Amino acid sequence: MKKISLLLSFLFVCAIGFAQIKSNEKLIYAASYNMSGMMTQLAQVTMSTDLIKTSKKSFLHLNWEASTFSKWDKFFKIRDVYETYVDPATLKPSLYKRSIYEGGYTKTEKYIFNANGKSINSSSQKSNRPESKKTVAIGSSTRDIISMIYKLRTVNFSKFTPGQSASFKIVFDEKEYPVYVKYMGLETVSAGNLGKKQCYKLSITAKTDKLKGRDKNLIWITNDQNKVPVLIRFSIPVGTGQLTLSNASGI
Amino acid sequence: MRKISIISAILFAILGIIFTVLPLGTIAFLPIGIAIILSVLSIIKSKNSQRKLPKIILFISFVTLLVVIGKVIFIRDVVISDTQFEMKKEESKKEDIKDLEGL
Repeated sequence: MKKISLLLSFLFVCAIGFAQIKSNEKLIYAASYNMSGMMTQLAQVTMSTDLIKTSKKSFLHLNWEASTFSKWDKFFKIRDVYETYVDPATLKPSLYKRSIYEGGYTKTEKYIFNANGKSINSSSQKSNRPESKKTVAIGSSTRDIISMIYKLRTVNFSKFTPGQSASFKIVFDEKEYPVYVKYMGLETVSAGNLGKKQCYKLSITAKTDKLKGRDKNLIWITNDQNKVPVLIRFSIPVGTGQLTLSNASGI
Repeated sequence: MRKISIISAILFAILGIIFTVLPLGTIAFLPIGIAIILSVLSIIKSKNSQRKLPKIILFISFVTLLVVIGKVIFIRDVVISDTQFEMKKEESKKEDIKDLEGL
């Protein structure tokens, strides 16, 4: 039994591989939302990375920003920022922040991952309510949603067979959730300025009411060294939508 | 039947105008298309002397259709520079560095 678990651990380490996320990478997506069966472009999502140096160590800053296109700003302005500071080698998060502005609704959230790896100090604030602070216990491998997506890009899916899953744990809205990523096979999709690319099609499932449907939350990442997410389809309680890569630079 | 199709055509034409004003993109084609079909039907069903109103609806729907096509072709999806947002991000980054120094 011990041998089997050792072998499985070894295979898992081989499959996870090493981080390949570079600094100064910039991926720009067009976010569309399904309205009456037609995809309507709503916002631009930018995923970028940069290296931050403090007096003690360096961090890779992973940043996601969503801004509505100017034509939508008058009706429903969105300015969302999700960011995390991670170890450049292991992508282990140290600080995660979320700042949401969606049509007047605001929410901020900050998690400081404690050095023991077993808890986070969280502070959050919704609109004009007072700030709440608490310590949330987490597993040693638990990460935030942004670093999870980047960690996903380091997984070696070439060793996976269709139907095989990788599991992660994330902390979101001060709760810990298991996330399962199922490899569904290879597909060729349009990847903005990168042209057509062969991609790993992955299905993301989480035990949360924030994601709906089976195999309806999908992500296509390129089958190359860069593992760029080129298409993301999501199904949430208020509808469905997608992010399509329009420009990739610094990869 | 004639009256129902005229009333429906008016309602869909109004909906088409609202969708055209809102940044809903190609979705506006749906009510405009229905308004055009219903107004053509109304013209067919009407006597020569009663064709003025459906013709007006058809004309308005057609103009709205051209506006939507023009918007789809000529108006690019852009994100305008938001100085307040950029400043907030800069401040947030300075605060983050302070937090990271303490870790």
